[in-house]
Amino acid sequence: MHRVAITGLGCISALGHDAKSHWRAAAEGISGIGPITAIPPEKLKIHVAAEVKGFDAEKHFDPVKLAVIDPYSQYALIAAREAIGDSGLTFDHGLHDDTAVIIGTGIGGAKTINDDSDRIFGQGKIRTPPMSIPKLMPSAAASQVTMEYGLNGPAFGVTSACSSANHAIGEAYWMIKSGRARAAVTGGSEACLVFGSMLGWQALRVLSVDTCRPFCIDRKGMVLGEGAGVLVLERLEDAKARGARIYAEIAGMGMTSDAGSLTDPSAEGAARAIRQALNEAEIAPDDLHYINAHGTGTGQNDIAETKAIHLALGEAAAKVAVSSTKSMHGHGLGAAGALEAVITARAISDQIAPPTANFTMADPECDLDYVPNAARSMTIDTALSNSFAFGGLNAVLAFRRLH
Amino acid sequence: MSEVDTNTVESKIVEIVANQRRVDPATLSLSDRLEDIEIESIDLVEIIFAIEDEFDIDVPQDRDAMKLDTLQDVVDGVQRLIDEKNAA
Repeated sequence: MHRVAITGLGCISALGHDAKSHWRAAAEGISGIGPITAIPPEKLKIHVAAEVKGFDAEKHFDPVKLAVIDPYSQYALIAAREAIGDSGLTFDHGLHDDTAVIIGTGIGGAKTINDDSDRIFGQGKIRTPPMSIPKLMPSAAASQVTMEYGLNGPAFGVTSACSSANHAIGEAYWMIKSGRARAAVTGGSEACLVFGSMLGWQALRVLSVDTCRPFCIDRKGMVLGEGAGVLVLERLEDAKARGARIYAEIAGMGMTSDAGSLTDPSAEGAARAIRQALNEAEIAPDDLHYINAHGTGTGQNDIAETKAIHLALGEAAAKVAVSSTKSMHGHGLGAAGALEAVITARAISDQIAPPTANFTMADPECDLDYVPNAARSMTIDTALSNSFAFGGLNAVLAFRRLH
Repeated sequence: MSEVDTNTVESKIVEIVANQRRVDPATLSLSDRLEDIEIESIDLVEIIFAIEDEFDIDVPQDRDAMKLDTLQDVVDGVQRLIDEKNAA
């Protein structure tokens, strides 16, 4: 078995176009939530989201290629480029054959689906652009990354709604741990702030009308986000041998299914995933320092997640710092776990717990230490990042600081 | 604007709720608490969707709009939205 190091980080989100600005904003408690600009406001009843701002795709891609790359793959490529550059990996001496590319997404090419639907049902046309299918498939981002870097190892997309990125990163971690791959480019991507998708979320009535206030008594729901996060993982011994900077170690992964409700989360299912991750990482509840919560800001999640943390940690729950950075980068759905893994890795390397922004007053049913509004300098040797998806699919990553 | 008969609003809502719960409308009464007739949050979302479609109204997105206790509260809320729409 191999230990697994995080040696590269890449990100694009409402907080910035690179991992550094994403982390810096999160650590300063600056929220990227604002008015939706991508869709005319008169067409919507919800008017806030955490949009990627000032994004000019042509600055990043050749215009000819751009026509066949959905925004969700564009985000993944931008984050992958940054993460690979950051890691300093060159994939030579055969490493390209041993590098996995595993990218999660909740939907895949939402904009392509939206635009094609509009052509067919809105405009009454009978043809779609020819590259629609290879653009919208939920594995397109993974393929794009393999092609750009000539990576020939195991590669695929992973989908489990809001847990997609954690499942992807967990799978990549296990591949390296077991020896199936020596390195991995992994994370999650989503670009679904499009009209059709927004109508669907509105109908589900889980979106906040103003902002995202996880764990607060006056929380009104989640705020949708978008973007991508990508990590470069490699064998710890390889990373050390080449003198790479190591942000943190991924040391455990828990995944469970509630087998209960499509929309109501189960504290027990989430708690089992937390316990699994801690067990694999050999972290005792007393030694856990920080949790990056799923913390969507919906009525149901925040109570169920709080219960799950109590169930899994027992008395140690009271002293762990728990924050939801979705209060700042929004709920990135299939990208969420990756946006949060970037933050959790930096929280460990910088020894700073990012806050839960927009915090007013805690819900009496949410009684943990949520690091309200201001970041905290503290010892973070161990951390978890939670993702609990619709459909009861739970995925929790455990991180360790490398001493 | 045509007047909407309160009785029609009531009976339509009872029908929508009964349909969602797969029960005979005759078993429901306006004083029933949603909790007691096992309307869960996902049922309520489906019911609101059906009501919006039926009466061509927009139920506000704010979560407070979901704080409904009895079937009568639902009827009153829908009637208010219909009145507001007709007055606009």
